[in-house]
Amino acid sequence: MEGLELTAFQIISAVGTARSCYIEAIQSSKNGDFAGAERLIIEGDTAFNSGHTVHAALLQKEAQASELVLNLLIVHAEDQLMSAEGFKIIALEFIDLYKKIFI
Amino acid sequence: MKKIVLLCAAGMSTGMLVKKMQTAAHEKNYEYDISAHPISEAKQAAADADIILLGPQVRFSLGKVKELCPEILVESIDMQIYGCMDGEKLLDNIKEKIGV
Repeated sequence: MEGLELTAFQIISAVGTARSCYIEAIQSSKNGDFAGAERLIIEGDTAFNSGHTVHAALLQKEAQASELVLNLLIVHAEDQLMSAEGFKIIALEFIDLYKKIFI
Repeated sequence: MKKIVLLCAAGMSTGMLVKKMQTAAHEKNYEYDISAHPISEAKQAAADADIILLGPQVRFSLGKVKELCPEILVESIDMQIYGCMDGEKLLDNIKEKIGV
């Protein structure tokens, strides 16, 4: 596997992991484990950043090329990226909320 | 024949990984029944599976799937393997766990 398909999977895998971390952070704080939640947010951010780097490189590549490269898999990857980004905001809000309940 | 079930959000990206795994299984002469399904169909799709694998994007459902299928081995797919679509490596990892 190479090229655009591989790039899409690198993004899906990284930001998908990030999204899972953010949701697991909510689950941890639900159980009162705020240290665990914090660890998962950091783990999520690391995964998200690696996906973001791949995506940014793709944008640069497109800006340099005259031809537009796009397929459904890349659209799916960007969708996952947006979802992960949204889930981080929601996770942080939920952690705050659970802190109010537990502490 | 051992049955391997992959689950992700829609069954879209894991569907491509399944194709890679099937090719690798064919080359190595492993007799596996490999399929991909959306996680919403976990209960029906994985009823008689030997191992259930979750994509990184649904890893947070690991606990729920384990509850749903208590007698089946449930694991998440490594982010690096998934990102490289390394069907062969994933297949080798599975073989270590459930045999052929």
